[in-house]
Amino acid sequence: MSTALHDRRVLHSLLVAGTCAVVPHALELPLWVIAVFAIGAAWRYACEAFQWYRPGRLVRLALMLLVVVAVFRQYHTLLGRDPGIALLITLLGLKFLELKTLRDFVVSLFVFYLVILGSFLYSQSLWLGAWALIAVLACTAALMHLIQPAGLNMSQRLRLSGVMLAKALPLMVIVYLLFPRISGTLWGLPEDAHGGLTGMPDMMQPGSIRNLSESSEVAFRVSFDGTPPPLRDLYWRGLVLADTDGHGWSRAPARAAKQVSFVPLADPVRYNVTMEPSNKPWMLALDLPAIQPKDARYQADFTLEHREPIRERLNYSLTSYTRYNTGALEASEREPALRLPMNLSPRVRALAEQWRRENGTPLPIAQAALDYFRRESFFYTLSPPLLGDNPVDDFLFTTRRGFCEHFAAAFVTLMRAAGIPSRVIVGYLGGELNTAGNYLIVRQSDAHAWAEIWTAERGWVRVDPTGAVAPERIELGLEAVRRLEQQGIGLGSLPADAVRRAMELGWFEYVARHARWYWDLTNMTWYRWVVDYGKERQERFLASLGLDDISWSRLTGLLFVGALLVTLVYAFLLLRPKKSVDPAQALYLRFCHRLARAGMVRAPHEGAINFAQRCARRRPDLKNRMEAITERYVRVRYGEQTGADELRTLKREVTVFRA
Amino acid sequence: MSATHAPSDVILGRRQLFMLPTRFGLLFALLLVVQLLTAINYGNGLAYALTFLLGSLAVVSMLYTHRNLFRLRLAAGICAPVFAGEAAVFRIHLTNDSDTPRFGVTVMRDKKEIAGVDIPARGSADVELPVPATIRGRLAIPPVTVTTRFPLGLLYSWSRRVALEQSCLVYPRPADPTPRQTREQETLEPTHGLKAGGDDYIGTREFRPGDSPHHVDWKAVARGEGWHIKQFGGGYQPTVWLDWDTLPGLDTETRLSVLTRWVLDAERAGVLYGLRLPEKSFAPANGEHHQHECLRALALFGLKP
Repeated sequence: MSTALHDRRVLHSLLVAGTCAVVPHALELPLWVIAVFAIGAAWRYACEAFQWYRPGRLVRLALMLLVVVAVFRQYHTLLGRDPGIALLITLLGLKFLELKTLRDFVVSLFVFYLVILGSFLYSQSLWLGAWALIAVLACTAALMHLIQPAGLNMSQRLRLSGVMLAKALPLMVIVYLLFPRISGTLWGLPEDAHGGLTGMPDMMQPGSIRNLSESSEVAFRVSFDGTPPPLRDLYWRGLVLADTDGHGWSRAPARAAKQVSFVPLADPVRYNVTMEPSNKPWMLALDLPAIQPKDARYQADFTLEHREPIRERLNYSLTSYTRYNTGALEASEREPALRLPMNLSPRVRALAEQWRRENGTPLPIAQAALDYFRRESFFYTLSPPLLGDNPVDDFLFTTRRGFCEHFAAAFVTLMRAAGIPSRVIVGYLGGELNTAGNYLIVRQSDAHAWAEIWTAERGWVRVDPTGAVAPERIELGLEAVRRLEQQGIGLGSLPADAVRRAMELGWFEYVARHARWYWDLTNMTWYRWVVDYGKERQERFLASLGLDDISWSRLTGLLFVGALLVTLVYAFLLLRPKKSVDPAQALYLRFCHRLARAGMVRAPHEGAINFAQRCARRRPDLKNRMEAITERYVRVRYGEQTGADELRTLKREVTVFRA
Repeated sequence: MSATHAPSDVILGRRQLFMLPTRFGLLFALLLVVQLLTAINYGNGLAYALTFLLGSLAVVSMLYTHRNLFRLRLAAGICAPVFAGEAAVFRIHLTNDSDTPRFGVTVMRDKKEIAGVDIPARGSADVELPVPATIRGRLAIPPVTVTTRFPLGLLYSWSRRVALEQSCLVYPRPADPTPRQTREQETLEPTHGLKAGGDDYIGTREFRPGDSPHHVDWKAVARGEGWHIKQFGGGYQPTVWLDWDTLPGLDTETRLSVLTRWVLDAERAGVLYGLRLPEKSFAPANGEHHQHECLRALALFGLKP
């Protein structure tokens, strides 16, 4: 066990396996960490190939301390995901310099497996999964090389490892599907575990939604029961922002709804949402959701809030009504919906006053505002100019170019100044229908802001001021706006066929889009069964097998029975006797059997030709026939390119042979 | 001789094979525990998948390790006779009747590794097992165990101790050169009145450098039996009797040793020699076969056949 390994090729296998395991970390960890590993590996290689200086124990110890200090300086701790993996990889690099015994090699190799697992803590993409399979193959072949340094060449090792891994896969799938999953964690996750998630902010500053529109990351996916509603009805309600300081908008203190209270005025829409982790608790729902999913709280402003920030994909089913009447407004809701910012400028107030005098009731006042946006050359643009200290005033009277958030904020401020309870809603609008999987993909770039005003007759009414200036945004989606803008076509008043012409896809774009959709579907399936396969999905999967509410212990039992069955099948397939004896050999054994009856027994160690010589001395009368059979047998069995004729002749000779 | 019948070849079956994890196997199990805890704590699907893949790999490797020895055929090959004090070299044949090669099969005796071999598919491999032969008689092949760690070194499989039917003849240790005693009534006179170098064929002996090629037994060479010299009757060829009774006052083993020495000397001198033991005697002759018969009788003297 403690014998030194001298075969240089074994070291090469180990270097390849280690490189495969570490490569994905190059995307996540500081470059110097990867460099330490690479230098360690290269140095050891040079020691073997060019007899370079190999550091002694003291130097290695000093290097190790240096590395630990460097990791500490990088992260200011040695605990947690990032410093842990950085330590693992750098120390593996130094370990190369001292590898000597089989034990050293095997321990390093096992740590490679751990490093592969470490890369999953950063990403669980399909690509990484595929790469990890290659890395596991390389590590397994290297382990085989350590245990069996001679006898097999590289391709044989890779093939045997591949076959073994292929056999391990079905077993793995059973254990994977049935191993009882828990929700939550065993101990607290390190703080760096959830970096880099994008989601809707819980504040709306000028530019915050505009920033999202740059991101093509998927926010959530929706599959509808039946036909999806038209695009213009796909207002995905996220947050209601009622408080403003004149600059940004934020949520009013949350209040849970006592009950879901609105009168549905249309057919229900049933759908299932898969939300990407956002690290925020908002659960997106089609305006307005009628039921409360598990683990969610229904707020008085008709939004849904998860009990904790969404850190892994969340799947929930909902029913919504796109037409509704929310009825009366409580005083506690009315007051914050009328609150005006301190910096409201006199000319904004004057404009609102004027509309109120001219129209009187909320809906005509709102219409006046929309007409104003349309008439007064306001523009919807993806690259609005910067606004000053009083963004609403600046936007209404100076720049007049804005994104949905500018229109929504200005509109709500005007409505409040005119005495109408109103608020800003942020969420997403529309989405892209993936015809490959028949579901809707809503991206961060579909983020949108609109307004709600309260009227005595209809309750809260949705008004989208963006629609007044850029109906294409509502009807065709943001992607269309981007395309039209790139082609230099102004928004707002295009004839329908001109828009359609501009929207036609070339064949390349058509193919690319469908490829993208299939890729998204593949990813969706991957996520459903790999990334998102937690407690809830497992329960749903088991329910689909008819195993509702199965206890933990019975599930474990089922797991063992399933794994045992597969193992037994493998044992049967691997260990069953092979009936396919070589036909030439079968004939020869028959020949030997006949000789044995005549007292000439072939010893186990005796070659066919020696045996024939021995028999010939004993029975010179049979010499020629025995030699003929033996020679033909040897030719058929071990020679090259012998036809079926030889085999037939051998069969005839053996059949007529009598000793 | 033991009462149980030792078979001439043994095929390792399920009941003859055992398996336990190696130290590396236990370390691998520890690795899996660490991986599983990480997977659970991070709720990470791919980490679960990797952990279970490696666990399944260990289970599959268990089957492969078992298969590496399962239905392996062990047989003992011939063992050339040796003198006591030398090492008997047994040859063990490992035959692989399956379509897959077997790698890293180690033959062990008393927990000591004898040799490791790879056995090709439908092929065989030989392992030499040297055993010191201390006393004359029949030396039985010691029981051996075959083991393997292939393919991943996580599991160690070994067979029950296999005792094969094979023994090695151990001639008595030749004594130091001792002057040959003769009884009075025996002479060194020629028994036949023929001329030296006569042409009566009286047998063959092994070829020695310097022999005339005219006397080589070419037919035997052609049969592959080795080089022999035809010997032709020499009336002057001396005849000797090697007699147990000429060595009174010595214990049995010493007598046998001395007789062994005499047999070797006589054979080397090229004389005709006979051997007289209390229950058996061999008429004077010489040659390899005669020498073997005499030494065999000495080796097995007093032992049950």
